Amino acid sequence: MLDVVYLLAASAFFVIAFAYITACQKLRGQIDE
Amino acid sequence: MNAIGTEQILIYFAIILALTKPVGSYLAAVMEGGRTIFHPILRPVEKLVYKFCGVKEAEDMRWTGYAAAMLAFSVAGMVLSFAMMRLQGMLPLNPQSYGTKEISPDLAFNTAASFATNTNWQSYVPETTVSYLTNMVALAIHNWMSAAVGLAIAVAVIRGFARKSANGIGNFWVDVTRSTLYVLLPICLVGALVFVATGSPENFLPYQHATTVEGAQQVIAQGPVASQEIIKQLGTNGGGFFNANSAHPYENPSPASNLLTLILIFTLPAGLTYTFGKMVGNTKQGWAVFAAMSAMFLAGAFACNISEQVGNPHLAKAGINSQITPGQPGGNMEGKEVRFGIASSTLFATITTDASCGAVNSMHDSYTPIGGLVPMFNLLTGEVIFGGVGAGLYGMLMFCVIAVFIAGLMVGRTPEYLGKKIEKFEVQMAMLAVLILAASVLGFAALAANMSFAKDSYWNAGGDTITNLNNSGAHGFSEILYAYASGTGNNGSAFAGLSANTPFYNLTIGSAMLIGRFLMIIPLLAMAGSLAKKKIVPASSGTFPTDSGTFVVLLIGVVIIVGVLTYFPAMALGPIVEHFQMHNLKTY
Repeated sequence: MLDVVYLLAASAFFVIAFAYITACQKLRGQIDE
Repeated sequence: MNAIGTEQILIYFAIILALTKPVGSYLAAVMEGGRTIFHPILRPVEKLVYKFCGVKEAEDMRWTGYAAAMLAFSVAGMVLSFAMMRLQGMLPLNPQSYGTKEISPDLAFNTAASFATNTNWQSYVPETTVSYLTNMVALAIHNWMSAAVGLAIAVAVIRGFARKSANGIGNFWVDVTRSTLYVLLPICLVGALVFVATGSPENFLPYQHATTVEGAQQVIAQGPVASQEIIKQLGTNGGGFFNANSAHPYENPSPASNLLTLILIFTLPAGLTYTFGKMVGNTKQGWAVFAAMSAMFLAGAFACNISEQVGNPHLAKAGINSQITPGQPGGNMEGKEVRFGIASSTLFATITTDASCGAVNSMHDSYTPIGGLVPMFNLLTGEVIFGGVGAGLYGMLMFCVIAVFIAGLMVGRTPEYLGKKIEKFEVQMAMLAVLILAASVLGFAALAANMSFAKDSYWNAGGDTITNLNNSGAHGFSEILYAYASGTGNNGSAFAGLSANTPFYNLTIGSAMLIGRFLMIIPLLAMAGSLAKKKIVPASSGTFPTDSGTFVVLLIGVVIIVGVLTYFPAMALGPIVEHFQMHNLKTY
């Protein structure tokens, strides 16, 4: 059970990291506009 | 300061200086797809890897695709490591029969994050926790992968500066493959044999039992040490095969292996500065970065050595002679190997924390407050004094952007770096990378200094998180601050004195490693992607020359000022106040 919890914690971080890429990309788009 | 200390620092620096150009030229040739001496053998292997993995060699990636590939590669490696550690009891090459009870889920999370991020922080004792297979596949494979990723990211960031009006910054899969095949593999094949020659074992034997001369029984751990040792140092990973790391006679058998270790740590990060200059078409730019890194390295090495050689005033007060004599090293020898002495120990401590390696041959916790402040400050600069493989260069390029921005503010001109206009987005991304590191170090350290748990709770069985410290007061705070600086900076060395193998510390230090690695890389890749799109503006009379001595001084100033302004209050509560207390004969 705890294995799943820690794997989910790691997954959550990487979801945040992917979202971070999108956020940086949007920021760049806003500046270009 | 004594002659031996000075000579060791200067001879070491001369070797690194001599290696920088040839290594940097070779790296540039590899990463730009040029021909190398290994092409007849390795080029067919490289093509086979692309064919097998479905990689289109000529395909260029935008920064978003590059970052996504890097994350996917790292998450896959992290999950593989986690699973292998938890299943090691069912896997082969496990003569000591280690199972899941040795590696709890929180420890597996921490360790997987640690190795995937090139940190190699170890909350466990390797020789009593992990099987040979876990060591070689789940952990050491990351020594290769994370170093190759670092090299790839650095080259992608360089391309951002070097390319003009381009959409892409390279192909992540190609960069990682070339880094591994042409750089890491040949050096490690030869280097592992050299380590064997110096005395490191390379076997799969069960641990040996010996009777000491006093009649006691001793267990002598064995294993494939040499092959891990070479990549551990070359890839600036630092995770030890043994708990004593490079103080263990199997990991670091002699002064010769010690020197080899130190050279390996700086070889690629120093060479990359020349690669940078070569790829942007002006090697002076690379030498300027090298000069800034070198000045900070030398200042730290001398400061650490002097502080340890002066030692602890308590000894003089107790009537003990702590001067250097032909019969004794003098100074502060606590926590240091007699065979290495103060000079080799302090040089090692400075290099390993400059370079985000994290291997240690002495106990940093036992250093004098200022001696310990040097490694800690090196971590807090963001690991840009040569830094980790690739990580040091891209971190320093981030500071270059901030430096030219500050210079531009001072003279009222739009900042430029290498002909690229540095505008709002680039500065935002550089500052985001700086701030994310500070938030992680200071946020987690503050949390760890204040968290309360019930005794025998799941998160921290000892109760309050400060009960895990060996020392109280300022020194105890240094132990906490160092742990999160090491985790966030992806260094992995431990100040020691902190029992970190609890769910609270494993989760928070593991998270600090992930934040310090990936949330720093992403904005830098975004910056590189933005710069690659820009045109290169020819230098004019108003352009600030970034290959000059003035720029080197400015760059050093920016690194130090950002570090000091951000972390001075925390350092004041730790090693700085401890220094003054020590001179008032108060220790912890």
